Amino acid sequence: MSYEEVPHTADVKIRIHARTLEELFSDACEALMTVMYGTSRKGIMKREIAVTSPHIDSLLLDFLSEILFISDVEGIVFSKAVVHIAGQNLSAEMEGEPFSKKIHAKGTEVKGISYTGLSIRHDANGYMVDIVFDV
Amino acid sequence: MLQGIIRIGTHEWEVPMGFVAGMRVPGRFFLSESLGASLEPGAIQQLANVATMPGIIKNSLAMPDIHWGYGFPIGGVAAFDLTEGVISPGGVGFDINCGVRLLATPLAQKDISGRFDLIEKLFHGVPTGVGAKSSLRVTAQELDTMMVQGARWAVEAGYGEQNDLVRCEEGGFMKEANPKEVSIKAKQRGIPQGGTLGSGNHFLELQIVNHIYDQASANAFGLSKGQVCIMIHCGSRGLGHQVCTDHLKVLEGAARKYQIKLPDRQLACAPISSVEGKSYFGAMAASANYAWANRQLITHTTRHIFKKMFGIGYEEMPLVYDVAHNVAKIEEHVIDGRKIKLCVHRKGATRSFGPNTADIPDKLSSVGQPVIIPGSMGTPSFVLRGTSKAMERTFGSTCHGAGRVMSRTQAKKTLSGKEVVASLARQGILVKAPNEAAIADEAPEVYKSSEEVVRVVHEVGLSLLVARLQPLGVIKG
Repeated sequence: MSYEEVPHTADVKIRIHARTLEELFSDACEALMTVMYGTSRKGIMKREIAVTSPHIDSLLLDFLSEILFISDVEGIVFSKAVVHIAGQNLSAEMEGEPFSKKIHAKGTEVKGISYTGLSIRHDANGYMVDIVFDV
Repeated sequence: MLQGIIRIGTHEWEVPMGFVAGMRVPGRFFLSESLGASLEPGAIQQLANVATMPGIIKNSLAMPDIHWGYGFPIGGVAAFDLTEGVISPGGVGFDINCGVRLLATPLAQKDISGRFDLIEKLFHGVPTGVGAKSSLRVTAQELDTMMVQGARWAVEAGYGEQNDLVRCEEGGFMKEANPKEVSIKAKQRGIPQGGTLGSGNHFLELQIVNHIYDQASANAFGLSKGQVCIMIHCGSRGLGHQVCTDHLKVLEGAARKYQIKLPDRQLACAPISSVEGKSYFGAMAASANYAWANRQLITHTTRHIFKKMFGIGYEEMPLVYDVAHNVAKIEEHVIDGRKIKLCVHRKGATRSFGPNTADIPDKLSSVGQPVIIPGSMGTPSFVLRGTSKAMERTFGSTCHGAGRVMSRTQAKKTLSGKEVVASLARQGILVKAPNEAAIADEAPEVYKSSEEVVRVVHEVGLSLLVARLQPLGVIKG
C-alpha cells in the first residue's frame, strides 16, 4: 500500500502508487477514510459494495463516492476494501466499524471526489493516480 | 503579473480573448499587486476556460480572493444567457449555498470575554465536525418542505422570526426548487443533518464590532461599535454535496450529448433550457433552500443558548443578513441598456446588490444590500454594502472571504494546532474544535489577508466597507 498527500492549496490531493488496479482502488479507499476519520479504524463488521461505470477513471470516482455515501448514511468507518474489477463492474468486500466520536473525529469532511486530473496511469512499475478530495 | 494579462485599472486586469483558444468573451479579475504575489497561474487558466462556455455574457470574472478550484476558479462569477447559455455545477461548487449570516446582540465584549463556558455550550449545542448528526429528526415529507421553503420552513416551525426571512438573500428560499430532482441518496444524507455545522472552513464565531467605517449604513444594518455579534458559516451539508456528485455525472454526459466543446472536463454543463440543465437547477435550488433552513436552525440553537446564559430575548438577537456564496441564480441585469434575465453563477463570490435593487429589504433600499465577508480564524470579518458599480461591472457580485495560500500538507508540517490555539488565546480569542489538525488546517497564516481582499473590492467600488468585526471565540468542525 502506498499513498501520500501532496500539496494542494484548497483541497486534499492524494497520490497513489500500486502494483495492481485493485490495490490502487483499495488504497484510494484507505486514503479517503484516513482523511475523514484518521488512522484508528478496525474491521469488526462487513459490507459489500458494487458499482458499474463505463470508464476506469469514473469507476474509481464512483467507487469512492459510494463509500462516502455509505459512510455518511450508515455511519460506517471502513478499514479495508478487497476490490475485484471485471470490465465495467466493481465489487468490493469491505470491513469497518461503527463511527465513534471518541475515536474517529480526527479528520475532516470530504464534500466530494473531484475529476481534477483524475487519470489512472499504467507503466511497468504498476498503476498511479492523483485524486483530489474536495474539503 | 502573469504574461499575457493586461492591466486596465488600479486593481483590475483583463485576460484577453485568445489567452486560451475558443474564448467568447474576455476575462476580468480584480486583484492588488500584493495579492498578485500568491496568484496561481492555474486559476487564471480556469477563468479563461470559463470564457469559452456557450452563452457567456460580457466577461468571465473573478474576485480578489481568486484561487484554483473545480472547473471554475474559486472567486469566479459568470453569467449566461437563458436561451443560448449553459448551467454548470463547477460554477456553484460541491457545497451548494455555502454561505454566511451575522446575528447582532445587545451584549458588549465585557459580557463574553473569557467565557469559555459559552464556547463549550455552543460547541456541544451545535453539532460540529465529521459524523455529527442533529438531534432534530425530520420526516421525508418535512425534508421536502425544507427543500421547497428553506428558511421559511424553519421560521414557521418555530425556529426563527419573520424578520429572519426579510434579512436573508432570496427571503430564505429560491422558488425554483424541485425536490423531485434530488436523489434518494441526497435525501438520506440530508435527513439527519439539519442544524449541523460541518467541518473544514465552516465555523460559528463570536465577534465584536471594533470599527465603523460608515456610521449611517451601520445604523441602518443595526450595527454599533462594541457590539457582540455571531457569525455562522456553513452550507448544504451532505445533501448538497450528494446533489453535486449526482448531477456532475449526468452533466458530463450531457455536455457530450449537446456537443459542447469544453477545454476542461470539470466544466461539465448543459444548456439551461435542457432537461438536464433544468434538473440540476431544480436540485441546486432545493439544496440551497436546505442550506438556508440549516443556517436558520443553527441560529435558533445559538439564540436559545444565549437566552439561557444571558437572559436576552430572541428579538434582541436580530439577523443582520444572510448571504450565499456558492449558488446559481436567475437574475435580471442591464446589458447594453437592456434588462435581460441571466443565469448568474457565483462560486466563492457574494451577491452585492446596490441601492434600489429588487430583492433587498425595503428598509435598506437606499443603502444597498448588506455583504457579510468572513475572515479566516483569528482574523477580522467585515460587513460591506452593495453598490450600483457592482451591478454594472460584476453582475452585482463581490468577494466572499480570504482564499487559501497554504496547502494542508504545508500547514501540517509547519503549524501545530496547540500552538495556534495558544497564539490565538494570547490575542484573547478562544477556539474549540474536535481535533488539533482542524485548527492547524485553518490557522490565520494559511489564508490571504481578508483585509487586503476587502480593501480591493472597496477601492474598486464593488462593495463599500461598513464595519469591521474582531473574533473573540470560535467553534469549528
